[in-house]
Amino acid sequence: MSVESVHKRFGDNHALRGMSFEVKVGERLALLGPNGAGKTTLIRTLCGRSRPDSGQILLFGKSIREPNVLQELGVVPQELAIYLDLTTRQNLECFGQLHGLRGKQLRDRVKWALDWIGLSDRANELVKNFSGGMKRRVNIACGVLHKPRILLLDEPTVGVDPQSRQRIFDMLDELHSIGTSIVLTTHHLDEAESRCDRIVIVDHGLVVADGTLEDLMEQTVGAKRQVFLEIEGVLVVSPPGLRWDSKRNRFVITVDNIAEELPSVLTRIQRSGGTVKDLEVHQPNLHDVFLHLTGKELRE
Amino acid sequence: MILTIIQTSWRRLRNNRSELFLTFIVPIVFFSIFAVIFGSRDSSSSTPKIKIAICNESDSKLASRSVELLSEQGSLRITNDKNQDASWVLLKRDAGADLVRRGMVSAAIAFSPNKETANPKIEVLTDSFDQVSSQVLTAVVQRVVYLAQADLVAAEASSRGAAVRFTDASSANDSSVVAPASFSAPINGKEGVAAATGSSMPEILSVDLMGGQKTNPVIAMYAAGIAVMFLLFSATTASGSLLEELENSTLDRLLSSRLTMDQLLLGKWSYLTMIGVAQMILMFSWGAFVFKIDLARHWVGFTAMAVVTAGASSSFALLLASLCKSRTQLGWVSTIVILSMSALGGSMVPRYLMSETIQKAGLWTFNAWALEGFNKVFWRELSLDQIGTELAVLTASGALFIVLARIFAIRWERA
Repeated sequence: MSVESVHKRFGDNHALRGMSFEVKVGERLALLGPNGAGKTTLIRTLCGRSRPDSGQILLFGKSIREPNVLQELGVVPQELAIYLDLTTRQNLECFGQLHGLRGKQLRDRVKWALDWIGLSDRANELVKNFSGGMKRRVNIACGVLHKPRILLLDEPTVGVDPQSRQRIFDMLDELHSIGTSIVLTTHHLDEAESRCDRIVIVDHGLVVADGTLEDLMEQTVGAKRQVFLEIEGVLVVSPPGLRWDSKRNRFVITVDNIAEELPSVLTRIQRSGGTVKDLEVHQPNLHDVFLHLTGKELRE
Repeated sequence: MILTIIQTSWRRLRNNRSELFLTFIVPIVFFSIFAVIFGSRDSSSSTPKIKIAICNESDSKLASRSVELLSEQGSLRITNDKNQDASWVLLKRDAGADLVRRGMVSAAIAFSPNKETANPKIEVLTDSFDQVSSQVLTAVVQRVVYLAQADLVAAEASSRGAAVRFTDASSANDSSVVAPASFSAPINGKEGVAAATGSSMPEILSVDLMGGQKTNPVIAMYAAGIAVMFLLFSATTASGSLLEELENSTLDRLLSSRLTMDQLLLGKWSYLTMIGVAQMILMFSWGAFVFKIDLARHWVGFTAMAVVTAGASSSFALLLASLCKSRTQLGWVSTIVILSMSALGGSMVPRYLMSETIQKAGLWTFNAWALEGFNKVFWRELSLDQIGTELAVLTASGALFIVLARIFAIRWERA
């Protein structure tokens, strides 16, 4: 999938300001951005539900406006876009039929989906009686019945407990293993870090960073480690680079190589009259990258 | 604590515009609508006139004079054509009766030759569907005939140079004295209203052309009225699923599949129409079983009317849904519109009781056309080709509504 300079305005609100990025075959891509960054508009535009003012979206080399191109796409909206007053099987049959599945093919796919989401034994129960996590799984299954080559998920784990999140990501890993590309938006940075191959960070309708976690850290906060120290006593001379972090109420120093630099830092502190009572090494993560790029927490 | 509950409830109401509207504005809107529909009968300009046809096959002077006097009656609207000299083109009795049977006029007044006496045979051919008009008209005809008789007697006496005197009927014993006839309501469809007094007073017959043989004639009319109103309510509620799908993004998912908006709307329309037809069949079957509606004999007309009415209701419901932003909005908009249409269209009170202006306004609702169609099928027992207008109007309005719904739904396709 190729997104090229996509613009979208809603009145005075410029939701997408020339967004561009690519999703490679078989890739798992996380779309991150603070609230209002344009993620949901982007997802709606990617699945053809919102027409961009300019720019284009290509899917396997063809515009998504061309007939049947969107059949390659599976969509899982953030809301529970299923019929709660139908059973699991009835929901699957409905969305399978709408994607053109019929007869044995439909039956086989429904059976596969029921097994995949682990709800075969509850196939004939009304979805409204299910837990939040189970409903989410049905919601996802309805988007993949037609074997899409690329799956768009808008916050697929919002409001579910850690166990259900794990279950959902196991399901997505299974899809990924058979070659499905996955694009997901999420507010859980750990999901993006651990479950995705590449991360695209958007803010104010633009892509502000694009790459693997290592790339992003390299481009932003770097590989340096922060060492937080609790020191007793009065330092006669402050070692170079050591400063006071009022937020954490500790001294902090940034080092390039822990193994080589940390012993000498500790020695210098001791020589200056201080005693290190405790230390904590902080490894930069996606949160630091996000904060560095957007100046905001993810949920702001 | 209690004060906090009151305060919080009031704040919530104040922050919810639609609830505020429903609480304070809708009752006033309804009051105004119903006041206009049922209150305007007091206005003399819009008081309903009785629509009649005059038939005269008699060459008697009494008949001619009666026709002249009838045309002067402000409460009547004569539908006969006029000759170049402004006199009425008078129909034959059978033609007038046909007009009554087809519901083109409320009643016909027929003057026929009478072999037994010099006076014409006078018949008021009524349709007991409109019971008020038929009774009022019989009284009007009686008065008119009485006055015509008096005029003729006075003219004759004047030509003979005699004095004319009117006395009470009980003391009438002179051929020159004419007393008013008494009136009795028709029973079993046909009953003579005898000229109780005065040998020269002709007999006035009130003939009910429509209701006499029917087992339970008016029930079909009420069944249709209620069915159309509830058809609209249930169709509108069901069409709210479209807004529900919009609100929870199911519409996004549906339209991301192979489904198009055309197919979605047509699918929902077909479903709503099928449910509507089923509702109609159920209601009329119950009516046939419990209230003896003659459904078996009228099934062709009933089926045609049920299909077009359900189709038009479904289209209208989808149009309302496509105009609204949320199910809450659809709820109160449909309540106002459906109750107003039902009141205006005759689902609540027969339209013949409304003023002429409101009756005309009612024709802009498809309730009126649906009810008229069912009325023609069950009451007038007309054939399929004779309800063509009603079928055409309902089909056309159904098509128009669904096209409009499709146009308004464009905004959901491309945000």
